[in-house]
Amino acid sequence: MPAGHGLRSRTRDLFARPFRKKGYIPLSTYLRTYKIGDYVDIKVNGAVHKGMPHKFYHGRTGRVWNVTKRAIGVEVNKQVGNRIIRKRIHVRVEHVQPSRCTEEFKLRKVKNDQLKAEAKAKGEVISTKRQPEGPKPGFMVEGATLETVTPIPYDVVNDLKGGY
Amino acid sequence: MPYVKAQKSKSYFKRYQVKFKRRREGKTDYRARTRLINQDKNKYNTPKYRLVARFSNKDIIAQVVHASIAGDIVLAAAYAHELPHYGLEVGLTNYAAAYCVGLLLARRVLKQLEMDDEYEGNVEATGEDFTVEPAESRRPFRALLDVGLVRTTTGNRVFGVLKGALDGGVDIPHSEKRFAGFDKDSKQLDPEVHRKYIFGGHVAAYMRTLMEDEPEKYQSHFGEYIKRGIEPENMEGMYKKVHAAIRADPTCKKSEKEPPKEHKRYNLKKLSYEERKAKLIDRLKALNSADAVENDSDEDDD
Repeated sequence: MPAGHGLRSRTRDLFARPFRKKGYIPLSTYLRTYKIGDYVDIKVNGAVHKGMPHKFYHGRTGRVWNVTKRAIGVEVNKQVGNRIIRKRIHVRVEHVQPSRCTEEFKLRKVKNDQLKAEAKAKGEVISTKRQPEGPKPGFMVEGATLETVTPIPYDVVNDLKGGY
Repeated sequence: MPYVKAQKSKSYFKRYQVKFKRRREGKTDYRARTRLINQDKNKYNTPKYRLVARFSNKDIIAQVVHASIAGDIVLAAAYAHELPHYGLEVGLTNYAAAYCVGLLLARRVLKQLEMDDEYEGNVEATGEDFTVEPAESRRPFRALLDVGLVRTTTGNRVFGVLKGALDGGVDIPHSEKRFAGFDKDSKQLDPEVHRKYIFGGHVAAYMRTLMEDEPEKYQSHFGEYIKRGIEPENMEGMYKKVHAAIRADPTCKKSEKEPPKEHKRYNLKKLSYEERKAKLIDRLKALNSADAVENDSDEDDD
């Protein structure tokens, strides 16, 4: 019989619940709120059968474009042939987690605003741009002793003794 | 069988998945809880309030709660042990007391939200089904009944709390099927019977039968009632006064309590992370200084 390419084909392990985490899902998933424009990760929860996205979207991150009663509309990039399409899918909240991809950016924004405000108060000009890590600074090598190593002449008798 | 092999092997424990803590304690029904808490996503942060009614052996606890990720937040609470302030001292866990607690909670919540003038609710407690009508300015306060693990039979005391809250002016979706006095065959609520229960009529009837048939049992069973001079005839009047007192002043009265005494500590206090790290550093320093004295001669060997 042929393999079959149904909606949930090849998802035996992908949609399985992790070890010792089966059964009721923790209620914080239902208490989270999502606003349009937030970034969310899609992670399918095999315990909830409704509103599951297709297995392609498992592990993808997208932006919220719609919020309905029990589901979230997420816009995900998908490569189709030679182009990338922005696909809009609806996913139930159990299969969605808030993404931390913008967390570092948001924190940096806040910190930079604060730094800029401080610098403005003092009257200095600062650059808040991130710089890549440069080469390590030079240093003096301390406590090094010099040891000269020279090769010893080849001694046939001694070397063969161990070998054969 | 004389020798029975041990049932729970090591692999059993390794593979065992514990239930949620409150389920292990047998206190929370998660199936009901998920359905009560789940708020429509397009209502964003609007809280969904639940009217929680729980009964212990000697007390009734009624709270208006809404859920959050950090933990549930209680908006207002009412207990049966507060009823002595309003004039009810005995029978604190019966249907009539449950009604009083529900009424007290409803008035307290409305007063806290400053809606108590708009939503009077049902001042005269008839047993009829009463639903709050929306007033002009604000929509009524809506809560959902959370019974917990109780079996919802007709005439259960949680529905006494429900009725009290409804008459207090809170909007709770309900049906009259489970109120005391609902007739299964005719599928109708008999408001007279329900009213009897709200005013402790069923307790009064039992008192009367005991007085006639078994006076000793009456003395032992209703001793507290007799001590306070509560007769079956004036039960209804007493409850009416309690209802009126609740409506007059539903605010919570804080009792004065002394701060608890300091007890001697019998076991060692757990150290914090910083304290443990500091301890480790001290130990290493002590070791190093002790070793330095011994090992000064050996250092160059390696």
